[in-house]
Amino acid sequence: MSTISNDGQMRDVIDTLDETRQRLLAAQFVKNVLPLSKDERLQRVIQMAANPNNTEDELMGAYKAAKAAALEAHARCGADGEWNDQSGYFVARAAEAAVAPKVRTHGKSIAWQTALSCRMARTAQASDSHDDAHDSESEAQYRIVTDFLTRNPQ
Amino acid sequence: MSAPSVEKGIQFIREQIDAPIASFFSSCVHCGMCAEACLFYGQTGEAKYTPINKVEPMRRIWEQEFTLWGKVKSTLGLSRKVTEKDFEEWETLVYDGCSLCGRCSMVCPVGNDISGMIRKIREGFAVAGYAPEGLVGATKRAIEIGSPMGVRLPAVKAQIGHLQKDTGLDAPLDVKGADYMVLLSSMEIMNFPEYMEAVARIMKQAGKTWTISSKAFEATNSGVQIGVSDLARELVQRVVDAAEELGVKTVISPECGHAYTAIRWEGPNLIGRPYKFKVQHILEVLDEFRDQGLLKTEGMEEARMTFHDPCQLVRKGGVVKQPRDLLNMVANNFVEMKDHGAMNWCCSGGGGVSANERADELKFKAFKQKKSQLDELHVDTLVTACANCRITLEEGLEENEMDIPVVGLTELIADHLVQDKKEKA
Amino acid sequence: MTAEALLTWARGPGFDWALAIFVLGMLLRLFEVLSLGSKPDLAEGRGSGVAGGLKTIVTRTLPRSSVFAREPLRIINGYVFHLGFFAVLFFYEPHIELFETKLGISWPGLSTGVIDALAVVTVASLVLALVLRLTSPVLKHISGAGDYVAWAVTILPVMTGFLAYHHMLLPYTLMLALHLLSVELLLVVAPFTKLTHMFSFALSRWYLGYQAGHRGIES
Repeated sequence: MSTISNDGQMRDVIDTLDETRQRLLAAQFVKNVLPLSKDERLQRVIQMAANPNNTEDELMGAYKAAKAAALEAHARCGADGEWNDQSGYFVARAAEAAVAPKVRTHGKSIAWQTALSCRMARTAQASDSHDDAHDSESEAQYRIVTDFLTRNPQ
Repeated sequence: MSAPSVEKGIQFIREQIDAPIASFFSSCVHCGMCAEACLFYGQTGEAKYTPINKVEPMRRIWEQEFTLWGKVKSTLGLSRKVTEKDFEEWETLVYDGCSLCGRCSMVCPVGNDISGMIRKIREGFAVAGYAPEGLVGATKRAIEIGSPMGVRLPAVKAQIGHLQKDTGLDAPLDVKGADYMVLLSSMEIMNFPEYMEAVARIMKQAGKTWTISSKAFEATNSGVQIGVSDLARELVQRVVDAAEELGVKTVISPECGHAYTAIRWEGPNLIGRPYKFKVQHILEVLDEFRDQGLLKTEGMEEARMTFHDPCQLVRKGGVVKQPRDLLNMVANNFVEMKDHGAMNWCCSGGGGVSANERADELKFKAFKQKKSQLDELHVDTLVTACANCRITLEEGLEENEMDIPVVGLTELIADHLVQDKKEKA
Repeated sequence: MTAEALLTWARGPGFDWALAIFVLGMLLRLFEVLSLGSKPDLAEGRGSGVAGGLKTIVTRTLPRSSVFAREPLRIINGYVFHLGFFAVLFFYEPHIELFETKLGISWPGLSTGVIDALAVVTVASLVLALVLRLTSPVLKHISGAGDYVAWAVTILPVMTGFLAYHHMLLPYTLMLALHLLSVELLLVVAPFTKLTHMFSFALSRWYLGYQAGHRGIES
C-alpha cells in the first residue's frame, strides 16, 4: 500500500493498528486542526496521545483535561450558538477521542472517531464552502495516514 | 410577545385556573410530602422550594376570586392581593428551583398535579416579564430563527454532508410520504452529530424511509419551558404544517426531554385539533423495530452500566420499558438505580434550568441527588436518552470529579448494529 | 341558658342548621370547582382516562416508598388520626343510632372500650400532628391560619366526646352540649377550609389519574 486516497483505505489501515498506534495516529489528526481551538490544554493532551510510553494514569489525566475542554466549549442549551464557534468544541472532542479509555466494546475505533471530529471542526469553522472544508480535511488526513505508514511500518 | 405587565401576568394566571386546578387547591392539606419528592428542596434544605409553595401566587388568586369565603375575605379587605413583589420573589422558585420533573405530582396524597401547576404559572410570569434571561432569549431565537440556539439550515446541511461522505448514508430532506419525519434538537445538531448518524444507520437496517424537513427540523420547544403557550403553539404548528404537507406517517421526537412533552402531549391541545400523523419518541420507534425483529445487533458491552431516566420521557412520557429492553440487547451488565423508572431523579437541568445561567449554582447543588444515586452503584458508564440530560450530567460529573462517561442510547444501539463489511466504520 | 336548653338546641335546630350549612357549603365548593370546566385532551392517548382516574382514587391512598422513607412518622401519624377519627365517628354505638335515625341504615359497632382507646389515640395523634406542623421547616413555611383552624375544629369533637363519655371536666349535660356544639362548629367551618379535601380528594385524584390513564403513564 503506497498512498491512501479514500476513506475505505483509511479505515482499513486504522483497523490494523493496535491501541497505542491508533492514539499516535489520532494525535496527528488533531495536530492538524489544533489551531482551530483556543484551549491550551489540548496541546498537552495531544502530546500525551503522541507519547507511546504514556502510563494509564497520564492518559486518564489527559482524558479528563480533554473532557473538561469539550464541556466548556460546548454550546449551552438555549444559548445563542454560533456554528463557527463549534469548531473549538469539535477539536476538543477529537482530542478526547484520542485519549479516551476503551470502555465500550463496540463503537468507532479511536483514530476514526478522532478523524471524524476533526472534519467536523474544519467544517464548522468554514463559513460558506463547507463542502470543500470537509474534503480538504479528509485529503489532509489521507496524507497523514500515508506519512504515518511510512514512518511506522507494520 | 407584547409589553410585559404585572396586570397581564395576573390575568394569565387567572386564565389557567380550571376545574382540575381548583380541585387541587381545594384538596391540598399542606402535608409537605411534595417537598420530600423534590430534588431542589432535598439538596438545599430550603423550605421555599416546597413544590406547592411555588404556586402560592396562583393559590391566592384562586382563593380570592373563585371561592365564596375568599371573595368575602377580599371584600372585607382581609386578603393579600398578588403584587409585583410576589413576581419578584417567586421568579426563582418558579424557574430556577424547578425543572418540571414531575416527581411531586407522583407523591401528593390527594393527587395534585403540582408540576402541571408550575408549568401553568409560568404563563403568568413570562407575560409579566419575570422569566429568566436565558429562556427569553432562547424563545425569541426559536421564533425568529427557527432554533433556540440560532441553528440554521446550513448547520443541518453540513451535518448531512458529513454523514453522506463519512458513512455513505443519507439523511434526505423533504421526502414526501416518508415513513418517518425526524426532528432534531439544537443541542444534538450542535453538540452530538453522532445522533443523526445513528438514526440513519438504524433506519437503513430497518428498511424504513425517513426524512428531515428543511422548514421544521427543530424539536426543542422553548415556548413550553418558558411558559408562553402562544409561542409554544407557533413552534408546534411549524412541525405540524411540515409533517402534514409531506404526508409522513410518524414524526419522531429525538433524544430531548421537553421536545417530546411539547409535541406528543401539549401540541394537539395548543393547536386545537388532533394531528394527521403519529408522534413517537426515537426510543419508542427503536423498540418497535426491536420487537419486529428489524434490529440486528452484535456484541455485548461488558462495562457496568445504568440508565438515567429523562423525566419527560419516562415519568411524564410513559416510555419506561423501552429503554430497558433496548439496553438489554447490548449490555450484559446493566444495573438499575435504586429509584429508577418513573420515580428516578431529575438530572437537575430540565425545564429550562440548564438554559438559565443564573440557576447554575442551584443546579449543581441539586445535582448532588444524582451523584448520590451514582455513588451507590459504582458504574462504568451512564446511559441516557436526552441531549440536555447528557450535558447536564457531564457537567455535574465534571464538577464532582467523577469519571463516568455518559452515552446516548440511540448511539449505543447504532454502534452495535450488524454492518456490511463495506459500510463498516 | 341552662345546660339542658343548650343541649336541646344543639340536638335540634343547632344540628339541623349546621348540617344544612355543611351540605350546602360542600355542594357550593363542588360547584365552584366543576363550573370552571376542563378542556378535553386532544393528544392521541394510549389508554383509558376513566380507568386511570378510578384507579388513582384508590391507589394514591398509599405512599411511595422513597418519600415514606424520608418522613415515616409524619405519614404514619396521618393514617392514625384519620383512621381513628373515622372509627370513633362511625363505629361508636350512639353515633350509629344517630345515623340510623337520620339515614335509616345501621351497622355493627365496636365495643366502647375499643372506641375509648381509639379516641385517646386520635387525640394524641392530632396533638403530634400539631407539634410536627409547628416544628418542621417545610410545614411551618407552608402553613397558615386555615391549617390551625382546621386542626382545632377537628380535635374538639374528639376531646369533648371523650370528656362527656367519662363525665369529666364539666357536668355531663353541659359537656355533651359542648360536644354537639363542637361537631356543629366542625360542620359549619369545614366547607371553608382545607377540610373540603374530605370530598375533593376524589376529584383531584381523578383528574390526575385521568390524564395519566389517557397518556399511559404511571400515577
